[in-house]
Amino acid sequence: MALLQLEKERLVWRARQLTGPDHRRQSSFYPTLDAHLQGGWPQTGLVELACGPAGIGELRLLFPLLAQAQSRLQVWINPPAELNGQALAQHGIDLSQTLLIRCQNPQQALWSAEQSLNSGCCSHLILWAPGLTAPQAKRLQVSAKGNQALMFWLHPQAEPSTGALPISARLSLAPLATGLRLQIHKYQGQWPQSSCQVDMHELWPSLAIPTHLPTHHGPAPSSTIAALPFKPR
Amino acid sequence: MQWLYLYFPNLQLDSLLHQQAYNHACVLVDKNEVVQTNSEARQLGIKIGTGLGQAALLSAQLKVIAYEPKQEQRLLAQLAQRLYQTSATLYLDPPQGLLLQTSDMLRLYEGLAPYWQQLQQPLMERGLHYHYASAHSPLAAQVLARAGNDRLLTNQGEATGLLHQLPIHSAGLNYKLSLQLERLGLNTLGQAQALPRSALGQRLGQTLVTYLQQLEDSSAPNRPTYKPPEHFRQRLELLYEIEHSTALRFPLKRLLSDLEAFLAPRQLHAAGLILGLEYREHTSERVYIGCSDGEYRAESWLGLSMLRLEQLKLQAPIIAISLKTKGQIPWAPLSAQLFEPLGGKLTAGQLISRLQNKLGDHAVQQVYLRDDHRPERSFYQGVPQSHYQAHQATTYLRPSLLFTLPQALNHKPDQQWCILSGPERIQSGWWDNVSICRDYFIARNPTGQVCWLFRTPREEWFLHGYFS
Repeated sequence: MALLQLEKERLVWRARQLTGPDHRRQSSFYPTLDAHLQGGWPQTGLVELACGPAGIGELRLLFPLLAQAQSRLQVWINPPAELNGQALAQHGIDLSQTLLIRCQNPQQALWSAEQSLNSGCCSHLILWAPGLTAPQAKRLQVSAKGNQALMFWLHPQAEPSTGALPISARLSLAPLATGLRLQIHKYQGQWPQSSCQVDMHELWPSLAIPTHLPTHHGPAPSSTIAALPFKPR
Repeated sequence: MQWLYLYFPNLQLDSLLHQQAYNHACVLVDKNEVVQTNSEARQLGIKIGTGLGQAALLSAQLKVIAYEPKQEQRLLAQLAQRLYQTSATLYLDPPQGLLLQTSDMLRLYEGLAPYWQQLQQPLMERGLHYHYASAHSPLAAQVLARAGNDRLLTNQGEATGLLHQLPIHSAGLNYKLSLQLERLGLNTLGQAQALPRSALGQRLGQTLVTYLQQLEDSSAPNRPTYKPPEHFRQRLELLYEIEHSTALRFPLKRLLSDLEAFLAPRQLHAAGLILGLEYREHTSERVYIGCSDGEYRAESWLGLSMLRLEQLKLQAPIIAISLKTKGQIPWAPLSAQLFEPLGGKLTAGQLISRLQNKLGDHAVQQVYLRDDHRPERSFYQGVPQSHYQAHQATTYLRPSLLFTLPQALNHKPDQQWCILSGPERIQSGWWDNVSICRDYFIARNPTGQVCWLFRTPREEWFLHGYFS
């Protein structure tokens, strides 16, 4: 009976049974990613995203998800630059439910994250932090799970942290011409997948490199850049 | 009408020693004369009226504190504020007495005994020594209470009987008058009352006649009744100096429980508190503790206050603390949360207050939009507000991460970069002296970051943000 219960909640799973989407996942709104993650992001827990340098599309990966769930607060802690309200609003994020926290030291950032999760009024939390120790990750994971919240931890390393952190998922991101390549290192409830490509071309056509061009050798013709002369005022 | 008089002979000393473990002799001194003593001091033989020198000889470790009439008045008002919850008609009788009109309240409490029980509760909580008496007239109750009668009398006959036997010197008359009466051979109040008033008036003056009349007069005193203040304000003097901010927890708890007792019956919440810290030999400091949703419970306020106090470095030892409210709002039930499926432990406002108190007000922000074409001015970060005004966002694609100050690029984007769109010219702000003229490009650099670049008329290139 207890085993059945565990199986139902996918805390214990059989390798051969893993087909079809898990109903306890929330869609990422990227079909290829949903297919690879058996339904999308976990409902609750802590997800590590190793992004490398900022600006490769790590937030665009999350925007469709954040735009959907807005009944509770979405907390952003220590983003690497200012969060542009115009961009967030464009992507459908409710700014009245968005809270931005800036902390001087990492301990305070972790304290804020834990308080926000434990308050029960936060549905998504995005934390930029250089590193987490196993006890810290465990505390955040437990807080997120216990309060029906999903937390993303973003850091600028290209590879996820070494050592087995007790968290729901660990992914690393790399830029592609039309989106991102996701390496899934750990995902609770399924085998680690090799990698998957997330196509952002449909949602952000103007940010993808046109397909007829080579990836890293853009045209940048100096003529177009300098085409518009500035008139002196 | 029936009256009750409460007399607190040790008001200031009792309040000072309450909940502060101190078991040595301690006295209050006014003009070199002991005016209030604790039980340890009385055991050593220190009495009211003893000179300071003699008292110091009786006990080597005697703690001497100055008597402050103003502080005692404040304490009396605080006490009245608390008793007002039990009894409606109150008169302050400074420095140490309270007069209560009981006849109206007896119907509510169904008798004198339950009413008295309710009244005693706050007095015992505060560890006060008190004398009391009830009588048919305000003055009779006062005289009997000050004489230490400690009896609740319901019929007039008993009270009159007690007054009759009362020695003249403890009847509350001034020293000269009571001496004159005693010299006439009148040793009890009854003997004086038996004499014809007109003869007494002629020989000893009108004061005595008025006094005797007032003893029988049951009407209310000719002064305004006590009106509770609209805002909470309280001060607590510490017996010890406090040097660490965390040690403020215990005295603060006392003030906060008084705050709760003040706010709860009024159905009010405090939106913020101002905690005054009085330093020894240093100007005092004020600390603001906020709670945007409002709160009245002492426990929640204590948590918030400690978050703020942990950050605080005391400049000098603290000798007294005070507390007042800043903004009192009517209590409103949290009806919005009724249908929320996930029962939150805190509301968003409570979470924000907690974060603000720990990290400072400017660390917790919300993003607001503004109509401006200049990217860095098209939004701003401000303190979270409960009523967020939605604003239409621009339709042009903007980066999600923006640098406060654009970063200069060393050289013009070369062949390694891929220009994705642009130029978009933004020329604005000539009216407020922060004029900009920029051509913006979206470009992807060799590492794969989607950047927002701009070029100035002087052909300088800057990185302004990332399409993260």
